[in-house]
Amino acid sequence: MTTPNILDTIDPEIIDTVAARGAEISAGASTSSALAAALALGSIPVALGALSRDVYAQGTLPTAIKNVLDFALALEIFENEFYKGVLGTSASAGLNTAFAPVRAMAAGVPGAVATLQQIQKHEQAHVATLLATGATNVFNLTASSFDFTGNRSAMGGGPFSEATTNLAFLLQVAQGVEDTGVRAYKGQAANLMPSPTILEAALRIHSVEARHASRVRRMRRAAAGAPDVVRWSGTVRGGERAAAGGTSLGTVNPTAVGQAFDKIYGAGASTPSESNVMQAGVNVTSLAAAAFGTEAAQEAFDEPLDRAAVVAIVQPFFIPTIS
Amino acid sequence: MANEPKNIFMRGDQLLQSSSRRSFLQVMGLGGVIVLMPTVFTACDDDDGITEPTDQSYTLDLSTDVGILNYAYALEQLEAAYYTIALTSAGFAALSADEKEVLSDLQKHEVIHREFLKQVLGTAAIPAINFNATTVGTLTANRSVLLSTSQLLEDTGVSAYNGAGKYLTSAANLLIAGKIVSVEARHAAAIRDIRDGTNGRLFAGDDVVNADGLDVKAEPDTVLAAVVSLNVVTSPLSIGMSANQSRRTPDQTAPAPT
Repeated sequence: MTTPNILDTIDPEIIDTVAARGAEISAGASTSSALAAALALGSIPVALGALSRDVYAQGTLPTAIKNVLDFALALEIFENEFYKGVLGTSASAGLNTAFAPVRAMAAGVPGAVATLQQIQKHEQAHVATLLATGATNVFNLTASSFDFTGNRSAMGGGPFSEATTNLAFLLQVAQGVEDTGVRAYKGQAANLMPSPTILEAALRIHSVEARHASRVRRMRRAAAGAPDVVRWSGTVRGGERAAAGGTSLGTVNPTAVGQAFDKIYGAGASTPSESNVMQAGVNVTSLAAAAFGTEAAQEAFDEPLDRAAVVAIVQPFFIPTIS
Repeated sequence: MANEPKNIFMRGDQLLQSSSRRSFLQVMGLGGVIVLMPTVFTACDDDDGITEPTDQSYTLDLSTDVGILNYAYALEQLEAAYYTIALTSAGFAALSADEKEVLSDLQKHEVIHREFLKQVLGTAAIPAINFNATTVGTLTANRSVLLSTSQLLEDTGVSAYNGAGKYLTSAANLLIAGKIVSVEARHAAAIRDIRDGTNGRLFAGDDVVNADGLDVKAEPDTVLAAVVSLNVVTSPLSIGMSANQSRRTPDQTAPAPT
């Protein structure tokens, strides 16, 4: 080493990063020869630059992790394109036109457009972050890959088309989208455990989706159209369609909309409904010093959703078949 | 740290400022084991009116899932104690009915989290932590400080769970942490939204969600140092065995509410 004191000038947290990523490499992630050389030399700055592009480079991710990232990317593209359509910034002129009526309504509510912009910004950032982490757009999704009327369900008929003309309905849909994201990430976290860096990134996206869902609930409550099951605290009370706080299932096809919300807040094959009060074998309603009843127990824990259940929720909005 | 005694009581607005935390951690780094005890702070400052801690000290072994869950249990104890006192505070009385619903919900959820973790930890649970009633009183004295402190606690909770998840070795424990952290994030967004008025962005503001769309995260030693500096805990908390150092990542901590 020609610079023996270089460690003194580096933020110890950055060294921690190198250590963490080095652990992943030793655990099986591939490295470029340049990175291996940099690490062998002990040159921290050189290694950092290489690591940022190299750890788990595309095609070398463990299959279980890659599958989660690809799935998450599909969901994030879906969310991003949904909000871009709402905001009128989609590459699809048809979407921009379709959402124009509800966009005008949102513009009349202080803070509403700013919130939608903030959320869209995050979904777009999540797409970029997942791509940089090694995800692949395996379904070749573009702005034209979605039908936000939900017309692809078995029932057809575009049951969610009212989201383009009814702000309350749009926000109810947005809440469902965000809560689905929270449940989906939570359901996949365990699959990411081999990579601390990727797991942590997923957890940090997961909590952002939860912040979104909370704010949307508050917007709905503030509009005075939503009942108090839609908590000012942004938390989820109850399961199935009741958890949506649906004051309206729309006029196009209420049956289909109701069933969609049943899936969003219901159980999967291996995951519980949001109405669940049993956590790690403990009935949360019977904790001696915390007996606040069923509703608080439901709110205090969010539930995961398995992949198949998430696919069943979103497939009606995807033109390509996903899995 | 000895040159800032006047800040001790109002750390609710200053907690987690990185410059002081960094220097503190540099001072306190002892062979890879970080020891964080309120006695250090009181030793720095003899005229701040803080009661000298006499409680039993609790040491967290963060090298195991039990230790990480106890770390979560300590944080939930803090949140639960704070909101329980808050519900009878002058700050709470000044809230609107809608805002009171938020604080009341938060109190229930945090007490549930505390009691749940206590139950699942069983005999491995650390004892109940004691809190500085004077400081908590100050931090609930009016609407503004109540909400800013609540925001800080919730954002800190999010950052703590986001930073600790990677240390858990059991998928079941990771799932439990995941079930709780999104609720903390909902709380944080709600409190921030109250403080935001009609601006519509603070719920997931650029101060907590970075350009990569990632929320706050902090390592356990960072979080505990921040908690200590808030001066609400009188029970000395320390880290005996550190979390797996090879899994550490850089912190992005919750900023002080403005």
